[in-house]
This record gives sequence, structure tokens and C-alpha cells, in this order.
Amino acid sequence: MSGPEERKVKVNSLAELPAAIEPGRDLWPAIQARLKSAPLSQAPSRFTRLRWLAAAAMVASVAVGVWIGRDLWPLPSSGTGAPPLTAQHPLTEGAAVNAAYMSDPRYRRERAALMKSVQAQLETMPPQTRAKVAASLAAIESAKKDLENALGKDPSNALLQELLINTYQDEMRVLTDVHEAGDAGRGI
Amino acid sequence: MRITYQLMACLVTLVASAAAAATTFDKQVDAEARGVVEISNTSGSVEVSGWDKPQVSVHAELGGAVERVEVTSEPGRTLIKVLVPGHSWGDGEAKLHVQVPKGSELHLSTVSANANVSGVLGVQRLTVVSGDVVTEIAGADLELKSVSGDVKVRGHGQSARLYVSSVSGDVHLEHGAGDLEISSVSGTLAVTLDSARLVRARTTSGDLRFEGKLTRAASFEATSVSGDLKVRAPAEGGYSYDLSSFSGDIDNCFGAKREKSGGVGHSLSGTLGDGAGHVRLKTMSGDIELCDRS
Repeated sequence: MSGPEERKVKVNSLAELPAAIEPGRDLWPAIQARLKSAPLSQAPSRFTRLRWLAAAAMVASVAVGVWIGRDLWPLPSSGTGAPPLTAQHPLTEGAAVNAAYMSDPRYRRERAALMKSVQAQLETMPPQTRAKVAASLAAIESAKKDLENALGKDPSNALLQELLINTYQDEMRVLTDVHEAGDAGRGI
Repeated sequence: MRITYQLMACLVTLVASAAAAATTFDKQVDAEARGVVEISNTSGSVEVSGWDKPQVSVHAELGGAVERVEVTSEPGRTLIKVLVPGHSWGDGEAKLHVQVPKGSELHLSTVSANANVSGVLGVQRLTVVSGDVVTEIAGADLELKSVSGDVKVRGHGQSARLYVSSVSGDVHLEHGAGDLEISSVSGTLAVTLDSARLVRARTTSGDLRFEGKLTRAASFEATSVSGDLKVRAPAEGGYSYDLSSFSGDIDNCFGAKREKSGGVGHSLSGTLGDGAGHVRLKTMSGDIELCDRS
């Protein structure tokens, strides 16, 4: 309590003040110990909070983007007229174009080209293989419809969105695999 | 006189039939111990085995429609190709028996030919359309793509990078180890790994059955739309798990209770042991079952 009393001493000029006031004890060991014991995560800085906010905003915008993008894809039930893909109803060029759900023109182009090529290859395959591949592509088509229907009931479901994107990717993988497999018969 | 003509006609027919019937082909060429061997056959079968000789040996039984077998050798590479006129699939069978240096890297492509590979220790890249594949792997990488054929892979517990994809064929992998990426649309995936560091599995309507020990800090992710995911995976150091399904059931053998998520669907998450690794299983309508015991 003596400190405040001492500060009440009248000072007429800065020159009267001491150049430095040394603390009564060495404070550094205690400061160092606290710095060492406190993990960085326990002291969230403003920067850290902003970084998390930015990440959350980014995730939210991606999710919104995916959802808006999904709304832009014409659903199979919206009158595209694409017949179901089965062994009895193999791919047609029209179906290939109508089945392009994604809004990205490059994706649409590549998918349509692959569909056309795969259709040509399917016709040269043994009938049993053709039927199996057509059944698998139909399974993908059915999975997409199921996912889209489920998303209709629960539009913000991240699991369904992820599975739908996976299914689109799987379809492209299958088309690419079948396309590449077509070269197997032509040798090395 | 008439009988003589008939006999001659029979003889001509027999000779013609014999000419059209299967012929055999044999060739042996020098090859490097760790060279690449590329084999292409449209239909029939391909049997490849590894041996200790620095040579590639080809024996083939050829159907009438097969034009010829080409075997070419260049430094580090041997090419074996069955040529069928018209390049039409499934036209002209050839039964190939090929022996290669056991350290060879094998590139094999077939359409409807079945393939059987054994004793090859190098990298294998196998592409099959509708034939079935049976292969044996050692510690080298495997890339296997099948469209509708069934696949059987047998390992010896040696770590490798394994990539297997199938459209509609079933995949059966046993005694693998290391990193695995496996996918199928409608085929069943039945996998047993002696030790797994990284597993990525994806199906559309096919089921996944996995059994294997996860290494410390392993990562396991599997998704399916309507297929069931059944995973039995003990792990050194345990793992955190995150299971979610939109309309499928979630079950486990360690007594954890599932919770309902904010929206439609179910999820179950938690930690086993130290939580060193992680397991994520997701389906739309397929059931999920996780067990940390083998």
C-alpha cells in the first residue's frame, strides 16, 4: 500500500523521475514458466477466431454451392424422357445427352462422348457381359435417383450430398474403365 | 466310281476340318529378370506363372479364327499378342500358357479370356472385361480393373499398394496388406487383410465385407449407396469411428448406442482405445456393422 502513497509525491519535471525502476524481484522465471505451460490452443487469438469463422463460411458457401448446383441439374423425373438403362434398353445417344445432369459444360461433353463410345463398345461385347455392364450402369442410375429423392426430403443432408457426388464420380470411373477395357481387345 | 468320289469328298472335308481345328504355337525368348512382360488376348484363357529362368516361354493352343501370336522381345520388355482378324471381341479363342521371370512386371489385358497368375513377384497391371481373374500377389503393387468378370486375389501378407476396381464382378481378396483402394458398382467386395494402413472402399449397390487388422493410426473409409458395410477391424492403438446412414441400420459389437442426427438419418461416433486411427462408414440405405474384434 505504500506505492500509491509514493506516487502522490509532486513531480515538477520529467527529469526528476528515475530513468528506470527495477522490480523488487526477478519476474522472468515466472513469465517463462507460464509461457511454457500454456498451450497455444488455450489462448485463442483474434486471428485464430477469424480463421475458424472464415473456414466455416467457406464450408457453408461450398454446401450452398453444391445445393444450388444440384437445383440446376434437371432431375431424371423432370421429363427428360431418358429411358431406364437396362439390358433391354441400352444406352442411346439421346439418353446419353438427356442423362447429363451436371451443369458444367465440360463434364456434359465428356460424359456424352464417353456414353457414345461405351455404347459402341457394348454392342461388340459378348451378350452376357453387355447385360452385366448395362445392369451396373442401371444400378448407378437408380442410386442417383434414390439419392436425389432422399435429398428432396432432407435437402441439407451432407451425407446424401457426399454420396451423390461419389455416385457421379463412380459413374465416370465406370464409363472410363469400360472405355479403356475396349482397347484390351485391340492389343497393346 | 461314285464311292471313290464320296471317299475323296470325305477326305477333303477331314483335311479341311483338321486345318481349321486348333493349332499350337511355341516360342521362347530371352528376357530380363525384372523386365516388363505385356500380354494381350481377346478370348480363351491366359495362364501366367513365374519361374527362375531369364526367359519368357509361350505355349498357345489357337482356335481357327486366330491369325497368329506375336512374341517380340526388346531390352526390358517382352510383348505377347494374340491377333484376331477384324478385332472383334470374343472372336477366336487362344489358350495361352506363359512362363516369365518371377521378378517381372506383368501387364495383362484380356476381353473375355479368363486369367490365372501365380508366382509373379513384380508389379501387376491387369485389365479384364468379362473374363474371371485369379492372381497371386507378393510385396509389389497391383492394379486390377475388371468390368464384369469375378476377381480373386491372394496375397501373402506382404505390404503393397493395391488398387482393385470392378463394375459388376465380385471381388475376393485375401491375405493382402498395406494400402487398398477398392471399388465396385454392383459386385460384392469380400476382403481380408493381414494388416491395413489405408483402406478406401466404395460400392453403389454391392456389399462390402472386410476383416483385417489395422495398423496404428490407420485410416479406413467406406461408402455405399444401398450396399451393406460389414467391417471387423481390430486396431493397434484403437480408432475413432464415425458411422452414418440415411435409412440403414447401424450396429456394433462394442455396445455403443446409436444417436439420431439433426436431420433424417442415424449416426454413431466414438473412440475405441487410444483413438490413434479412424474408421468412417457411410451409406444411404445399406446397413452398417462395425466390430473391433476379428
